[in-house]
Amino acid sequence: MDCAIRLCNVSKCYRIVRQQPFLASTLFRALLRRSRPPDVHWALRDISFDVQKGEAVGVIGSNGSGKSTLLSLIARTSYPTSGEVHVHGRVGPLLELGAGFAPELTGLENIYLNASLLGLQRKEVDAKLDSIIAYAGIGDFVYSPLSTYSTGMSARLGFAVIAHIDPDVLLVDEALSVGDQDFQRKCMETMEGFKRRGKTMFLVTHDMPLVQRVCERTIWIDKGRIAAQGPSADVIAHYTDRSPRPPS
Amino acid sequence: MQTLLELYHYRFILSNLVGRNLKVMYRSMSLGMLWTLLNPLVMITTLTVIWVVVFGNSLSFAARVIVALIPYNFTVYCLTGCVHAIPGSASLVKKSAFPRQILPIAIIATHLIHFGIQSLLMVLMLLLFPLEGGHFGFHLLWVVPIFLVQLAMCIGVGLLVAGLNVVYRDVQYITESLLTVLFWICPLVYSDIELSKLPPWLYHLFYMNPLSGLLTSYRDVLFHGHMPGLVPFGQAVVGTLVVGWFGIRTFWKHERDFADLV
Repeated sequence: MDCAIRLCNVSKCYRIVRQQPFLASTLFRALLRRSRPPDVHWALRDISFDVQKGEAVGVIGSNGSGKSTLLSLIARTSYPTSGEVHVHGRVGPLLELGAGFAPELTGLENIYLNASLLGLQRKEVDAKLDSIIAYAGIGDFVYSPLSTYSTGMSARLGFAVIAHIDPDVLLVDEALSVGDQDFQRKCMETMEGFKRRGKTMFLVTHDMPLVQRVCERTIWIDKGRIAAQGPSADVIAHYTDRSPRPPS
Repeated sequence: MQTLLELYHYRFILSNLVGRNLKVMYRSMSLGMLWTLLNPLVMITTLTVIWVVVFGNSLSFAARVIVALIPYNFTVYCLTGCVHAIPGSASLVKKSAFPRQILPIAIIATHLIHFGIQSLLMVLMLLLFPLEGGHFGFHLLWVVPIFLVQLAMCIGVGLLVAGLNVVYRDVQYITESLLTVLFWICPLVYSDIELSKLPPWLYHLFYMNPLSGLLTSYRDVLFHGHMPGLVPFGQAVVGTLVVGWFGIRTFWKHERDFADLV
């Protein structure tokens, strides 16, 4: 089978920025040859895995474990400090809410902007526009600026665009939990449709039943390293055992 | 070159971003883009009143200033816009993978529309106050290469300040201050006689700034009615190449970190 996503020894390091540096002081320090080593935080350490074409993989882990960093590397908005990331095909990133939206534009204009950022041309958007609006199901709000939208409404619009760009690799980050029942059902149908058509899915979420239902394989990330990976049921069981339970 | 081809491929993003920029600028203004004519009109009126009425210069002085002022304004608007190009679209940069240079270029394209509208003012002025020597002739075609060099310079310096401002947060203040200085180190409000009084070293320093050569060339073609002096125009071309190379290099160097830094 073909490989859709491949990560080889990927590490990502962020400089801990207490204050963004000034150009003036940087030049001054360079002149004096006195530079301070920056404080760093390794968000991901030595991550390697393959995702086959058509596979659905879930990523779980506590807050701050590096899940979203991992997605941003696959979405190519950010680059690894070391190691290599290979992604084949068009990526449909659904990273957080209102990804790639401008609040001052109307829903309609945002559909065009968002779709263009995802690599569509004008004609393709024109052809799919009615279908996108119907899928989002937000009524006349498509003609209002996005700043007037509720969180759920912008998530609907975002997912409506992604559902229509026909990505080869779908990346989803926590975005679906804010929608209502009707919308979540619609998203499930779309994701299952993607799966049937042999698309690859990469799902980051805290919603364990969703992972279990959609993903055959799950990767558990803890403190920037892979803690476990394998069949979803096993990894989730392992994860819920290790995590502190909420008081009942 | 490859960047240009890429831009053609991403023209749809570009047009959407320009639409957004225009919308943000004119969000609550009923007169919309007509406001873009107001600033040069106020400037010209003030200059005319002071120089013509108070100091008794000839009326053509206003025409002499305006042919340089409108291209000057374009440069300043581009640079002030480009400084904020990346942080101003932080949500797009963080969430979508697209060539980052589109953001400053979309700012420049937006101001290009303003430049077009303001140029109409310039044409109107030249028609109202026809100058001796005749304005219409093949020398007017020189406007095209001069404009292209200016555009290249704006893209070069625009990329430079856009990239640096993501990494260092004082770049926006440095740029603002330098733009204030720029007004006085360009041949905008000085007469040719005043300029010729400069000592040679200062005169050359003055023309180190590529905008000086460009404004002089615009004035040669549009006001004096002859082809631009090859020395100031050549200096502008060389200056643009240097600054453009530096700008593109700087932008490339930091481009990959933008999403982590904004």
